[in-house]
Amino acid sequence: LASPSWPTRWRWPALLTILASGLALIFGLRDVMNFAHGALYMLGAYLGFSGQQGAQLLGRADDRAAAAGGWWASVFELAVLRPLQKRSHMDVALVTFGLALIIGPAVHKIWGTVPLSVEAPAVLAGSIQLLGTQYPVYRLFLIAVGFGTCLALAAWLKYTRTGMYTRAVSQQPHVARMMGVNTDRLSLLVVCLGTGFAGLAGVLAGPYLSVDPGMGATILISCLIVVVVGGLGSIGGAIAAAVVYGFIQVIGTVLFPSVAVLAPYLLLFIVLLWRPQGLGRGRVS
Amino acid sequence: MNTRSTTGSRAGWLGLCLLVALLGLFIPKVLTDNFYLGLVINGMLLGAAAVGIGFLMHQCGLVMFGVAAFIGLPAYLLGLGTSQLGLGLNSAVTLALLGSTLIAAAIGALVVRARPLPFAMLTLAFAQMLKSISTLQVMRPLTGGDDGLTMTFNGSFLGVTQAQLAKAASFWPVAWLGLCAVLAIAWLATHSRFGQVLRATQANEERMRFSGFDTYWPRLLAFTLASFMVSVAGVLMALNSAFASPELLDFATGGNALVAMLVGGASQVAGPLLGALLYTWGQDAFGATGHLELLTGIAVVVVLSAFPKGAMGFVFQVWRRLRAARRGSDAAR
Repeated sequence: LASPSWPTRWRWPALLTILASGLALIFGLRDVMNFAHGALYMLGAYLGFSGQQGAQLLGRADDRAAAAGGWWASVFELAVLRPLQKRSHMDVALVTFGLALIIGPAVHKIWGTVPLSVEAPAVLAGSIQLLGTQYPVYRLFLIAVGFGTCLALAAWLKYTRTGMYTRAVSQQPHVARMMGVNTDRLSLLVVCLGTGFAGLAGVLAGPYLSVDPGMGATILISCLIVVVVGGLGSIGGAIAAAVVYGFIQVIGTVLFPSVAVLAPYLLLFIVLLWRPQGLGRGRVS
Repeated sequence: MNTRSTTGSRAGWLGLCLLVALLGLFIPKVLTDNFYLGLVINGMLLGAAAVGIGFLMHQCGLVMFGVAAFIGLPAYLLGLGTSQLGLGLNSAVTLALLGSTLIAAAIGALVVRARPLPFAMLTLAFAQMLKSISTLQVMRPLTGGDDGLTMTFNGSFLGVTQAQLAKAASFWPVAWLGLCAVLAIAWLATHSRFGQVLRATQANEERMRFSGFDTYWPRLLAFTLASFMVSVAGVLMALNSAFASPELLDFATGGNALVAMLVGGASQVAGPLLGALLYTWGQDAFGATGHLELLTGIAVVVVLSAFPKGAMGFVFQVWRRLRAARRGSDAAR
């Protein structure tokens, strides 16, 4: 992992961590496996592309993606999750699956189906000399932002009152509500945050992967596996599982290139058979 | 079940079902348009898979997200049986159904312990794993990789040759009887003591356990049975198309069956079948407009939000309400 190419290895876990923690947040508050998460990530990437065309500045792209993400997230929470909160998990999960089906073609309509490439912004475009090796700045930036975001999230969960409420609702929704936590207001905030994370991951992924219509579906399964392995309702577990998952995939590709694609599924099977509740301390059922 | 039903009326029902099953064989004589016949067949095959997962969902509360696994697996097994082992078509079909069911039992032994959501994810992961395996470079000589596996059948399936299996009108009896078998299995299992044990376990597992019931084996059996029903659908699809590809193992294939099941409603055995027919019809209508995914997505969101119990549940609800209203007016008189 400390070999000269380490930024290449760390950037995938970094990206996955942002996405999976967003998914875990939404699951924790609303008990929903959000199948639209991958589509939102894709939307973020496309908005990033458009933002860059307009301004050649990543900052601008981030703003637009965040604004669109926030707007969408509020609609998602108020119009979809809240009215359906009494329904079974599967119904709501499949409604989000339907939403993903809607977002996909909408993106095709606006941006076309040809894969697009996004240039890293000028500030982050070059490479940098570090310990005698050249590294592209953007990769380091991606890793820093990825893990930085997760550290910030972890700190927010641990040290603020809202964060404490979020953890409480994720673990014991009924008790938290009885103790006076306004779960509706909290979940509006948290769903915005989770959706925002998906958008952010999309914007960040733009210059690293190509922006294409299939990008959401491919990453969604990875995210779902990560959240289940991490323990449903455990946000810390999801972050840890994303790192483990990312490395298993990356190391697998180096050591056993022919069967590496199977590694994540084996991970899921082994973890769930050994600890059915997942790695983290999740929901008390 | 209706406690007042006598053996006489039960025999009457059985006769009616057999009559419908027999009359169904002659549908191609009435519906002569090959395109619509093919469409109905697609709906029926999707329906057989949806009935399987609907059974599992209604009886155990477990939703199999990786339905595609047991659609694609028997299809590939059929292809491997005919191309690699050189089996006749009848034995290849037996091998595909048996192999798929045995693998389902082995996987089920591991996954039915899980809670519903992890269960859904585990089955999804299994389907994805099979998809990855089918496209592995080392498996290419066997599975054909991304190009898929084109099958040349040896001999005939119960007297129906490959050329006939590919045509809608001559494939119809095979598909129809397969569907009838799946429905019969699901209905019998639902209305047996086994089904009662399953529903009771779903309602309160702990109570069942301290009442002396084993809760693991019935669930495993239900999972295996459901996978068998899905495998029947998979085999029929492979017989019809003589082709297996990684797309069969894709999440989207399973997604079709899941959506069909929920659109129809799983609380009645035949609900998922109705859902599948509606879904296939919708796919055709939406596909004609060129906005297939968009319209499917909108339809899924609207139907699932507006009809919690699916189309069949909705029909039954209306029927019950009408009957109650009539009884009410009778009593008032």
